[in-house]
Amino acid sequence: MISHRENNTQRIAGLDARAEALRLKPGMGIAEARAMHPDIDVVEADPEADRRLLEGLADWCDRYTPLVAIDGENGLFLDISGCAHLFGGEKALLADLMARFFHQGFDVRAGLASTPGAAWATARFATGQILAPGNERKFLARLPLSALRIDARTKASLESVGLRSVGAIMDGPRAPLVRRFGAELIERLDQALGRLEEAISPRLPVAPLSVERHLADPLSLIDDIERLIGLLAATLKVDLERREEGARALELLLFRVDGMVSRITVGASRPIREPVLVRRLFHERLAALGETIDAGYGFDLVRLSALSTARFDARQADLAGEVVEDGGEELAIFADRISARLGEAAVLEAIPVESHLPERAASARPYAQEEARKDGAERPARAAQQATRRLRLPDRPIRLFRQPEPIDVPATEIPDGPPLNFRWRRALHRVARAEGPERIAPEWWRQAADAPTRDYYRIEDAEGRRYWLYRQGLYNAQAVPRWFLHGVFA
Amino acid sequence: MATSAVARDVVFALRQKIAKIEGTLAERLVSPADGQPVAGLLVRRNGQASARDFFLPTGVERLDEVLGGGLPKAALTEIHGSETRNAGAAAGLALSLVSGMLKQRSRSSDLVLWVGTTEMFREAGLPYAPGLASFFGIPAESLLLAEAPKAADVLWIAEEAARIEEIAAVVVELRGNPRIVDLTATRRLHRRAQDSGRPVLLLRQSAEPEPTAAPVRLVVSPAPATLRQTLLGPLAGSIAAPAFAVEIGKSRTALPGSFILEWNLDARTLAERSPENRIAVVSPSRGRTHPPAQAGAVLAFKPAAVEAAGDQPPREQHPAHRRPRRTG
Repeated sequence: MISHRENNTQRIAGLDARAEALRLKPGMGIAEARAMHPDIDVVEADPEADRRLLEGLADWCDRYTPLVAIDGENGLFLDISGCAHLFGGEKALLADLMARFFHQGFDVRAGLASTPGAAWATARFATGQILAPGNERKFLARLPLSALRIDARTKASLESVGLRSVGAIMDGPRAPLVRRFGAELIERLDQALGRLEEAISPRLPVAPLSVERHLADPLSLIDDIERLIGLLAATLKVDLERREEGARALELLLFRVDGMVSRITVGASRPIREPVLVRRLFHERLAALGETIDAGYGFDLVRLSALSTARFDARQADLAGEVVEDGGEELAIFADRISARLGEAAVLEAIPVESHLPERAASARPYAQEEARKDGAERPARAAQQATRRLRLPDRPIRLFRQPEPIDVPATEIPDGPPLNFRWRRALHRVARAEGPERIAPEWWRQAADAPTRDYYRIEDAEGRRYWLYRQGLYNAQAVPRWFLHGVFA
Repeated sequence: MATSAVARDVVFALRQKIAKIEGTLAERLVSPADGQPVAGLLVRRNGQASARDFFLPTGVERLDEVLGGGLPKAALTEIHGSETRNAGAAAGLALSLVSGMLKQRSRSSDLVLWVGTTEMFREAGLPYAPGLASFFGIPAESLLLAEAPKAADVLWIAEEAARIEEIAAVVVELRGNPRIVDLTATRRLHRRAQDSGRPVLLLRQSAEPEPTAAPVRLVVSPAPATLRQTLLGPLAGSIAAPAFAVEIGKSRTALPGSFILEWNLDARTLAERSPENRIAVVSPSRGRTHPPAQAGAVLAFKPAAVEAAGDQPPREQHPAHRRPRRTG
C-alpha cells in the first residue's frame, strides 16, 4: 500500500490487489486503515522515483517506435504508425509488448486505436484490445465519462445533470455543452473520435537515421558490442552515402533484457561515415564508461542512430586507391577520440575575441572543424590579424587564472600606486619592481555602468617571479579597494 | 703511450658504432685526437640525420655547446620548476623553445598542444592565448588546449598527440610526482617522440627529480628581468623581457652548467644574458658622482668561491678534472 500526504493527513494513494480485497480504498486515511487492519504495509509515495521509472519504461518502449510520449503520471503513448509490420502486425506487437512487460514484473494495461484518445480509453477500459478504425464511436458510447480524459470537476458536474456515459454527450447538442462545461469537453470528444487531429509530443527528437539489430542471444561482452557497432555502422554508411551526408553525432542504444536502456552518445568534429572510425569513437567512449555499463543478463537489442548529420564531401581516390588526405583528418579523429573518452570540453581551441577585458579576450571552445575553415572565406580576416600582429601587442601574462585570486595588500606607497608587498596563497611576496598601472574599464555595454575599473600592474618580486595584479576600484572614503592576482608572466 | 692512443681510437670508433646502432647519443663522444667534442655527430636509428632536424635550437651558443649540440628534437625533454608559483618561468622556457621551433617550420598550420591536469591549470593558470601571442609570437589559432582530471589521461592524450602530423610540439604539464609518471610512462612518451621526430616537452611543476626516460632535464627558476632600455639609458624600475635561470639537471651528453637566459622579444630568440646588461645589485646613485670603484677589494674568501655563477669561465676551458691540482 502506498500512502501520500494530503492536507496534513496521510492518505492511501494506491494499493495492491490484496489490500483491495480488505475493502480499503484510495483516499482513505492511513490511521483509519490501520485501525481496520493493523498489519498492513504502508510505503510513502515517491513521485520522483515513479517519474524516473516511467522515463525508464519510455526509454525501453523506444524499441517499438521512436515516438514515445509520457502521459501524465502513469501512462505512455506510443505512436506505432509504420512500425507495426516490423513486429508482425499490430496484434503481435501488442502481445509482445504486454508479454515483455509482464516478464519484467509490470502489470500494464494496453490498448491500440487509431486516435490517442480512443487508445487511452481502450487501454483503461478494454485492455489488450485493438480498436479497428471507424469503431471508435460505437466503442466509446458504452463507456463512462472518465474515458474522455476530462478533469474530475467537469465530470462531476456532467454526472449531476444525469449525463453519465460518453454516448449521452456524443449525441447531445454541442453548443449548450460548450457553453456550460467548457470547450475542453468537446475537444476531448472530437480528439477521441478522430474529428480533431491530435499529435503526441515525443520525449526525444527522432534521429534522422538509425539501424538496429535484434539479438536472439543477448550480448554481454563489450568486445562483442564493439564488433556489432562496426556491423551496424557499415549499414548506416549505406544510408548516409545515399543522402551524401556524414554523421556529426551518433547515439548507441543498448536495450538490456530486463528493460534497462543505456544511451551512449559520441560527437565528431567533422562528418564521419566510415565504420572503422565510428567503432573507434565508441571504443573510447565505452572504455571511459568502463564499469558504469552493467550488462546484467545481456543486451537483446542494439541500435545505432545518427543524431545529427551534415554534408559529407567525398574525395577522389587516386589510381592506387588511396584517398588524398586534405590534412586535418587525423587531427579531427584525435580530437574526437579524446572528447569521446574525456568529455566534450577535453580538447579546446582558443578563439580570440574582440574585447579588452582579459578574461574575455580569449575564449576556449571545444575543438571542431568547420567547413568555413577550408574555403577561403576566412582569409581576409586572417590577413587583417596578421597586420595587427605586426603592431606591438600589449604585455599580457602567459598564464591566466580562471578566477582572479584575491591577495592581501597591506600597504601601497601612494594610494594609487603598486603594492610594496602582498600575500598570495599565504606566502608573502616582496615587490621589487612594478610597471603600471594599465587601467582597464569594464565594458559598459555589458556590465553595470558603475562597475569598478581595474588598475593592472606588472610586478616582479624579489626572487624574479613576474605577476599581473590589479586593484579593483579606486581608493575613496567609503571602501578600501580589493586586490587580485590575475596572471603570471614568463 | 702510443699503444694507449691506438686503443683509445678503437674504443672511440666502437662507441660511435654502438651509439649509431642504439640510435642515441650514448654519451658525450670526445674525439681522442684533439680532445674536442665531435661536432655534427648525429645519430638516429634510421641513419644519420642533419643537425637541423636533430636538434631543437635553443639559440644560445654556450648552452648548445654544453648540451653537445643542442636539445634533442625527437625526444622527451623534461623541464622542471621547483615550485608551482614558478610555473610562469618553466612555461616561458618551454614556450621559447616551441616558438623557436615553429619559426623554423615553415608550415602555417602547425599546432601546439598544451595538455595538463585540471589541478595544474587551476593552481598555475591556463595558458593565455593573447600572452603567448604578444611574448612568444605563437598565434591563438595554433594553440590547442587539452585538460584531463587524471595524470594517466594526460599521458594518454600526449601519447596520442605525439603521432599527429599537424601537432608540431606537445607540452605536457604535470604537478608533483604522480606515481603513474614513472620510467615506463616516460619511456613510452620518449619512443613516440622518437618515432614522430617531434618534441614532447614534459613540464613538471613542484616535482622532485626522479628517474625518467627523458635524455635531458632542465631545471628552471625565475630570474630578475633586465631594465627596459630607452634612449636615455635604462629605465629605472621597469621590467623588460622574460629571463630564466636554467640549470642542466640531467643529461647523458652534457656537461653540468647553469645559465641565465633571456628572451628577446623582437628577434624572438633566446640569448644568454650578457654582462653589460646584467642588472645592478645596488642601484646607481643619482645626482652624485659614482663612488670610486674599489680595486682589489679585501675579501675573506678563497678566490674559487668568490666567482659568482655568471662570472665563471666556460667549463670547457677549465674542466674540473683537468684543472691543475693546487699544491701549496
